[in-house]
Amino acid sequence: MQALLSFDQAPPFSAPIRFFLTAPLFAILAALLILWEGPDLFVSRWTAATLALTHLITVGFMLQAMLGAMIQILPVVAGANIARPRFVAAVVHLAIGSGALCLSAGFLGHPPFFNLAALCLGVGTALFAAAAAWALYSVQSTNPTIRGLKLSLIGLAVTVMLGLLLSIALGESLALPLLQLTSIHLAWGVVAWSIALLAAVALVVVPMFQLTPAYPADFARRFCWAAIVLPILWSLVDLLGWQIASTTLASAMALLTGTFALQTLRLQSQGTRARFDASQQLWRVGMICLIAACGLWLLARFLPMLGDRREWPLLCGILVFVGGFMSVIVGMFYKIVPFLVWLHLQNRGGGRILAPNMNKVIAGWQIERQMHAHFLSLATLLTATLFPGWLAYPAGLLLLLANTWLLRNLVAAIVFYRRHCAQIDATISASP
Amino acid sequence: MAGNADIVLDARGLEPPEPLVLTMQALERLAPTEKLLVLLPREPYPLYRALALNGFSWQTAFRSDGTVEVLIGHETS
Repeated sequence: MQALLSFDQAPPFSAPIRFFLTAPLFAILAALLILWEGPDLFVSRWTAATLALTHLITVGFMLQAMLGAMIQILPVVAGANIARPRFVAAVVHLAIGSGALCLSAGFLGHPPFFNLAALCLGVGTALFAAAAAWALYSVQSTNPTIRGLKLSLIGLAVTVMLGLLLSIALGESLALPLLQLTSIHLAWGVVAWSIALLAAVALVVVPMFQLTPAYPADFARRFCWAAIVLPILWSLVDLLGWQIASTTLASAMALLTGTFALQTLRLQSQGTRARFDASQQLWRVGMICLIAACGLWLLARFLPMLGDRREWPLLCGILVFVGGFMSVIVGMFYKIVPFLVWLHLQNRGGGRILAPNMNKVIAGWQIERQMHAHFLSLATLLTATLFPGWLAYPAGLLLLLANTWLLRNLVAAIVFYRRHCAQIDATISASP
Repeated sequence: MAGNADIVLDARGLEPPEPLVLTMQALERLAPTEKLLVLLPREPYPLYRALALNGFSWQTAFRSDGTVEVLIGHETS
């Protein structure tokens, strides 16, 4: 019966892992940009360097991690296998990595790179969306996660199309309402793509890895629909110039995001585990940051005294992207990567050699220390929006430290995998 | 479905990869005519693939509380 331990290898280990290893490299580039630009980076969200920094985090770090995770999670939670995963992963990875670099180069004073960025990101995300949609096409939406994954793909497609339009407009100096289009691009990117995907995945992984009760059925059924319908309605009324409806729907999007984060914190508090592990702590901080960002956004919208200050958009952006998404992504890496290493080693052993314990893949103390470095870099970045002259350089250094450490931990997992692959191969070839 | 099972494995509330490991261990001991019932909090798509590759058949049922029941036996049984 030992043959049961043979799984097929869909997707191969290299497909998701190449995205996961690249993500921290972009966060390292973001840190180097902070060190290069210094306090000027915190003057406004609209400076060229700040826009470059934002896209190094969102396209460089987040998109890499999210697409890599989706390639892995589609077969597991939906039974949807991407065809030719090695080819799709290689092309998408190269295209979105090059696109993120070109986009940053465009913002940093080289406008011709905007068109190249549009080409690379367009090709990469179109190929990914087509491959994922094809895999999901024949899968019935039997649970809210599958429906959420499908809806988030629409969010990704619209976000990228708006981004391409903006990129070409900047490269070719087209006369478009850039500020309004940027707000719509941002809302789709955060709510319809990122929050929808995060929620769809959280419905499975929070109860599974954190041993909590399931999300309430009504919440699970309706959330991802709301995350796509609200941005559609808001975009329409905003383009039509209906101010009151626009403010109401934008506030509804913020409240929706806050509701997801509160619901997740509530479930965490009902979990059966006596002590939170690093992944749970990263999720908790991520959810607290999302709630804080929603609260800050609503306050700034309705209190002109706060809304007129230059700091709040930066504070809000750091809370969402570094505090919210980066924290959760790092927390997910520490669950997904050891599990994949274990699964592929188990498979390689063919039932004759058991894979080592999952907890040995990355040393626990390395994970804990990296997590603390991440929290420290987050706190310093947030404070640097108020005191950039004092804290811009320490914030850059700490972001560099946290993500170099993250890269080190992920590389340690690959080294562990390769070492055990070699041991397993040697044992199998030596035995009769 | 539970009435047809010789062995019941309740893998709800366990962190991955424990449900998979326990299921594999139970299947290693499963006699040719026996049936194993696994209770899980969600559909185990990777397990389905492993079962198909290794000569097992299965039936899935869904309880109203969200529990997924997978009844597994040897293909020939």
